[in-house]
Amino acid sequence: MKELESIIKELIQNVKELENVIENVKKPVAESSQLIPETAKNIEDVMIFLEETSHKIMNLLEKIQANSDQIQKDVDFLLSLNPVPKVREKIEDIKIRNEDTLNTLLELYTHMSFHDLAGQQLKLVINVLDKIKQTLLDIIVSHVTAGKDLKEEEITTIKGKVSELISQDRISQEDVDKLLEEFGL
Amino acid sequence: MPMPPPDIKILVVDDMSTMRRIIRTILNQLGYTNIEEAENGKQALAKLKNEKFDFVITDWNMPEMDGLTLVKTIRSDPELKHLPVLMVTAEAKKENVLEALKAGVNNYIVKPFTPEILKEKMEKIFK
Repeated sequence: MKELESIIKELIQNVKELENVIENVKKPVAESSQLIPETAKNIEDVMIFLEETSHKIMNLLEKIQANSDQIQKDVDFLLSLNPVPKVREKIEDIKIRNEDTLNTLLELYTHMSFHDLAGQQLKLVINVLDKIKQTLLDIIVSHVTAGKDLKEEEITTIKGKVSELISQDRISQEDVDKLLEEFGL
Repeated sequence: MPMPPPDIKILVVDDMSTMRRIIRTILNQLGYTNIEEAENGKQALAKLKNEKFDFVITDWNMPEMDGLTLVKTIRSDPELKHLPVLMVTAEAKKENVLEALKAGVNNYIVKPFTPEILKEKMEKIFK
């Protein structure tokens, strides 16, 4: 009898320790699942800022280009008037420099694709964050539902609701807790 | 090699507004001004069904419908299957290029690209 009592005590102790372990895991997992959407939002803000700034730079480039195009027309007109050699030489020099400006502008446009390339890399980071978020929420749901006598349909419904919350990007531990409460967990 | 005539109608498909603007500017510099834009493959297909285009320049990675699916859909459509398509993308792996060619693209450009490269590819497509 004493031996049985000792085994039961040991079992209770083990369960308590296990509960502590779960509680210790649950908190950082929940915190991380809340941090991830915030981080993804910050990255999206950076992408928006990059896009807006890129357009502003391109507006300025277009303004310079419009001026250069006009200079090119004016220079061609002046050359057509058969100016004296010294003046012609100067006008031709302006034409060459202006053509160089136009070529440089085109090169600058090409480099503006940095926004697209950087944006694609940032999108990859957001996708990775989404996957991590999904995994963390799966962990939360599975360890809270573990050991509970739930039907397969109920677990599927919980997972579906979690996915719904994730896709709406408003998931937080509070949302998860509310959801679990609905199922008496 | 001769370039296609300047009055051809071109559809530029890219989810990044800056990239669409860059391609449009470069095309303008090459003498092409009849240009329309779409943000993804789905939007592009809707335009292709309603208007006649002579050339499509598309990105690969886009939401809703990516460039590869767009190319496959174009090639499987009896009315669009002969439409020249140039893929402009950051996907620079050999298998990506092969996959795009298998899907039916006429040529492939890796971002970032220069106006000379775009000109060269257009000449090859329309020779």
